[in-house]
Amino acid sequence: MFTAPGLAAIGAGLVVLGAGLGIGQIAGAAMTGISRQPEASNKIQTAMIIGAALIEGVAFFCAVLCLMALGK
Amino acid sequence: MSSSASHVSSGGQDVSEFIIHHLVNADSWHPLPGVGIPLLGDITVFGVDVGLTLHSLMLIIAAGIVFLLFGLMYKKESGRAPTGVTNLLEVLVLFVRDEICINYMGESDGKRLAPFFLNFFFLVLVMNLMGLVPLFATATANINVTLGLSLITLTMMIVGGIVKNGPVGFVQLFLPPGVPKPVYVILFPIELMGLFIKPFALTMRLFANMLGGHIVLFSLLGLIMTFGWIGLPSLGLALFVFFLELLVAFIQAYIFTMLSAMFVGSMMHPSH
Repeated sequence: MFTAPGLAAIGAGLVVLGAGLGIGQIAGAAMTGISRQPEASNKIQTAMIIGAALIEGVAFFCAVLCLMALGK
Repeated sequence: MSSSASHVSSGGQDVSEFIIHHLVNADSWHPLPGVGIPLLGDITVFGVDVGLTLHSLMLIIAAGIVFLLFGLMYKKESGRAPTGVTNLLEVLVLFVRDEICINYMGESDGKRLAPFFLNFFFLVLVMNLMGLVPLFATATANINVTLGLSLITLTMMIVGGIVKNGPVGFVQLFLPPGVPKPVYVILFPIELMGLFIKPFALTMRLFANMLGGHIVLFSLLGLIMTFGWIGLPSLGLALFVFFLELLVAFIQAYIFTMLSAMFVGSMMHPSH
């Protein structure tokens, strides 16, 4: 189990854990904001997409590292 | 398709070859199942390999499509509201100019540098969308392409910082005020690294988003290769991932342009 492909798969799972938690919090906060003030929903939606893309960037970078470790 | 259904035992190898073949750079273009166009790949000018490969051809085709859109299909009619392609292009151009350029770089610089960021936006958008058409390949799923684009952003950051603030002011951008002098020894290298990490994050974000999306799509289609007729419902999942990829194409183009504008704006008009 402690070979490179096994650890790479575990690492990819951890990356998904971190990204899911982070983006879930962003989406939850965005929904709270929209429910409190529906007039600002456009701005909140834009800010949510930007935040989610930034976090996803880091997560994808680590996923690419795991893919490279899988191939070794 | 029916021949690979009988090779279920070797399905794994076929699927990974199928995925890799559709995503990496190649020396020939296969637009349709039976047609293969070899590209001249071995031209070396002064030791630099300037041969044509699949993704370079996709870059050229994307530039050609942008020229076509703005040169030929855009009809300037004064006195009447624009319709059709003209309307769509005007909406996108005004969106990039007002929400992205002027927002992050002020009124005068924003209007002056708007063509630069419009270039980024439309090139990345067209390349992302071309990757979803079976005829073409995804050029932005190649790290060299995205690295080239973010090196242009890095150059603009450095040149813009030096032109706007002078050489001394440029170095002072990395020495934030209000900090005791000995801390500068640690802070200056960290700020300098921050200058280079921002475009690196830009390239990894765009590259990994496009590559990951296409790997998922081709993996789902590879289920049909492995299981034969039983794997046909995976087409529904693949269709859903395809629409998600469409949304991600637009979002990634917007994020790339917006972050480029934010970085260049922070260098040209520092807030601290």
